[in-house]
Amino acid sequence: MSTLKTTLTGYVGYRGREGHYAFLLHRITGLGTVLFLVIHIVDIALVYLAPKGFLDVIALYQTTLFGIGEIGLVFCVFFHGINGLRIAYFDMFKPANWSIETGRNSTRVTLIATLILWLPATFFMVRNILIHNFGLFGG
Amino acid sequence: MAATSEQIRRVKVRPNYDHVAWKWMRYSALLLIPLVWIHVILQDVIVGVHAMDLDYVAQRWANIGWRIYDALLLGFAMAHGMNGVRQVANDFIKGDRARSIMSWALFVFWLAITVIGAAALIGGVRQDIPLN
Ligand code: HEM
Ligand code: HEM
Ligand code: HEM
Repeated sequence: MSTLKTTLTGYVGYRGREGHYAFLLHRITGLGTVLFLVIHIVDIALVYLAPKGFLDVIALYQTTLFGIGEIGLVFCVFFHGINGLRIAYFDMFKPANWSIETGRNSTRVTLIATLILWLPATFFMVRNILIHNFGLFGG
Repeated sequence: MAATSEQIRRVKVRPNYDHVAWKWMRYSALLLIPLVWIHVILQDVIVGVHAMDLDYVAQRWANIGWRIYDALLLGFAMAHGMNGVRQVANDFIKGDRARSIMSWALFVFWLAITVIGAAALIGGVRQDIPLN
């Protein structure tokens, strides 16, 4: 139990600013994506195991609530990927970049790159939801 | 003066499982960028969930190339993700025995989900079951 408490209070109380936020976001986005992936593999497998169930699940994915969740998922996949590349590159080729200053700057670059990919994707996904769930734009 | 010698001592350490896993997380990541991003941009942004039904999956899997693509995605994303969960759990769980139990539990879970995914990829869309 003490390890649980130490780890969790470390997550919340530690004040590493950008580096710490990047670490937490990498964890959260990674865990969020695996959670989705496990459910996703099972729901796609329904096409073979129980086709009727697959149609029910797809209907659920088409709701507005799930649509918002998918926009979040796309953020997770972009941020985790770019930040993961940053980690792998520093670890394997540029360990000297693990300094506080470089860490801060590269975290900001990572966030900006994520937004550049995520915002256009969000535009299309919101448009999809508005067309299909709210009958806008001739849907 | 031997005590302050500046000679660097090089030691060869046999890579243990965690070392291999650490490298694995970094190499698999490189492959996951194209695999996961293309899949998500195609399915979620371009095609969109509103265009999906049994026929859609059947058509995609009629192409063996997309089946192989999905198999790679299944193998690499799940292995990377479950190993990631193991890393996070290692921060919460202390003690060799508890960690070993956790690792094995995650392995069994990973195997079960992978088998389910692989069964669908091999079996394909079942058309012979009536839908209502
Ligand atoms: C258990 C692991 C860690 C320990 C024990 C630890 C310890 C520390 C300590 C003692 C400092 C203060 C150093 C100083 O200001 O002279 C510090 C600063 C910092 N650490 Fe960590 N750290 C850990 C993990 C991390 C991680 C994972 C990241 C992010 C990738 C990170 C990012 C930073 C940053 C950005 C600072 C500068 C904080 C500031 O100046 O306000 N640390 N860390
Ligand atoms: C909400 C966004 C997503 C949608 C709409 C979506 C849609 C689909 C569809 C329709 C299939 C069926 C096969 C095909 O058409 O190729 C599939 C399979 C698959 N997807 Fe996704 N996907 C999404 C996100 C993801 C993410 C983020 C991952 C990985 C982290 C992923 C991993 C997989 C895997 C491994 C398979 C093969 C499943 C099996 O073996 O049964 N998908 N996806
Ligand atoms: C898109 C390409 C991806 C890249 C470049 C990437 C990169 C990385 C890297 C380098 C690490 C190790 C971090 C460290 O040891 O500090 C990591 C951890 C992790 N990844 Fe990924 N990854 C990707 C996709 C995914 C996917 C699809 C999932 C989920 C299925 C996932 C789940 C995780 C988890 C849960 C961790 C552990 C997080 C932690 O230790 O804090 N990743 N990733």
